[in-house]
Amino acid sequence: MRGALQALYRACGALAGAALVLMLTMITLNIAGGVFGFFIRGLDAYAGYLMAAASFLALAYTLKAGEHIRVTLLLQRLPVGLHRGVEITCLALAAAITGYFAWHSVDMVYISWRIGDVSQATDQTPLWIPQSLMAFGVVVLFVAFVEETIDEIMGRRKAPPKTDEPAHIE
Amino acid sequence: MDFFATAFLLVALFGLLGMGLWIGLSLTAVAWLGMELFTTRPVGQLMVNKIWESGSSWTLTALPLFIWMGEILFRSKLSEDMFRGLSPWMALLPGRLLHTNIIGCTIFAAISGSSAATCATIGKITIPELRGRGYPEFMTVGTLAGAGTLGLLIPPSIIMIVYGVTAEVSIGQLFIGGVVPGILLAGLFSGYVMVWAVLNPSRVPAENIRMRLLDKIRAGRHLLPAVGLILCVLGSIYAGIATATESAAFGALGALILSWLQGSLNRASFVDALMGATRLSCMIALILAGASFLTLSMGFTGLPRHIAEWIGGLGLSPWMLIAALMVFYIILGCFLDGISMVVLTMAVFLPTVEKAGLDLIWFGIFIVLVTEMAQITPPVGFNLFVLQGMTGHQITFIARAAVPLFLLMVVAVALITLFPELVTFLPQQMIVRR
Repeated sequence: MRGALQALYRACGALAGAALVLMLTMITLNIAGGVFGFFIRGLDAYAGYLMAAASFLALAYTLKAGEHIRVTLLLQRLPVGLHRGVEITCLALAAAITGYFAWHSVDMVYISWRIGDVSQATDQTPLWIPQSLMAFGVVVLFVAFVEETIDEIMGRRKAPPKTDEPAHIE
Repeated sequence: MDFFATAFLLVALFGLLGMGLWIGLSLTAVAWLGMELFTTRPVGQLMVNKIWESGSSWTLTALPLFIWMGEILFRSKLSEDMFRGLSPWMALLPGRLLHTNIIGCTIFAAISGSSAATCATIGKITIPELRGRGYPEFMTVGTLAGAGTLGLLIPPSIIMIVYGVTAEVSIGQLFIGGVVPGILLAGLFSGYVMVWAVLNPSRVPAENIRMRLLDKIRAGRHLLPAVGLILCVLGSIYAGIATATESAAFGALGALILSWLQGSLNRASFVDALMGATRLSCMIALILAGASFLTLSMGFTGLPRHIAEWIGGLGLSPWMLIAALMVFYIILGCFLDGISMVVLTMAVFLPTVEKAGLDLIWFGIFIVLVTEMAQITPPVGFNLFVLQGMTGHQITFIARAAVPLFLLMVVAVALITLFPELVTFLPQQMIVRR
């Protein structure tokens, strides 16, 4: 079970990476089209969908890598018992919020599919297709938070790997 | 607008952030509270529609591409090349190789969108080199901490993309607006090093490499790849050939080609860079998702409009308003990272800024400058963390070494307030493509 979940997170991360490569391809094709005078319909819209796919599919994978940021200034200074209580509260809240987000994302896909909503741009893609990638990513994040919460309560949650990657955003 | 409701939202926000709930999720939770309190509309539906719309936009695609570009270059030999190209020239200035920190960061900032990456990429070469030659640590670390922050101000810049998307202003114009202030700040930093060197001549190690002019020029060729990339990215935006997204694509492709030519591109480094970029942009995307929902929610609560009216009613002079905002951001920056700071405050302050008659491009540059200050102020300052990891010094030592550079940034804010044209002149000249 746990191994399967790990594999799921990693697979979603790999898909997100692939989406980034595809996105670069779309944008490059779009530029090349302008230079060499050909036009492929909807490339900019596809790039946007891939952007969303990359962002949302990678959510759980990024969480597991410990790279979603939070303010740990106060948390670090708490005594051990209290620290654990606050950590469980944080995780449970996070699971609740992402659960809500996941529920409505799936609902959005369902509505788009039922009313046959299509993109207003030139691509005219049925929106439920790209939206379902986002919904899937958010559902997986919700699962990851539930897993983390249970692990923390059972006292077997591993601290995320300490990255010495200097590549932080700022 | 109910006073208690406002107070409740603020307490909830700082409570959630403070207890360590992930920043993007804290924003989402507070936005949800605001919506539930102030509207009867279907909150969940509005939320996902807004997040989908802002998360799948063409403009936003510049973000992962610039991040990816930085990740590729971080793993290439570009910084070694730059050091070889720069050092014979910098040795001529008072303060000698300390300037490789500043000029190196300035050049790298023009191909990388992040300050910690700039700091780390340049530092991994200059720290051992300067140490080996006997430069005082205090100056090496200080200049690196300060100049590293130029990664934010000198385009391309991740935080400017975030600001541009949040405040709905042209990212291209923001980028170009950051050029002159960035060079100005680099000049101030270099001036500081020169003054220090003149006052403490005994502490500057002698440089024993004697090179003929011809050799120096030949060494300078190592700078060409970096310069080529800068021309690709910034030149294309300024000339109006490319949007921010297109220039980001040029940049990422250029970085891939460059590291391939250098021989540092292989399967492992490609996957490393790609996955690093995926995680980093995902992290920012989660914050942006929460922020877009918060902006929507704040629109329903009317809170930003009330704050704008309240501050407008105080009758502050522009100088006072800017000084107050600077202090506010510096304090906020002690606890939050720059991107969260920008999205959080823009959701609330945008009407105030507009009402005060401040140019949104100018304000973007201002916000980036104060975020730079936050990078080197403890307890939370990303550049301090990076340098701590690289040098092994205490964070307090690094922060002390960075104090003079912090003060120079305050000078820079004063200068752009006094002469707003420093920011606004170039963007007004350019041809904007959206």
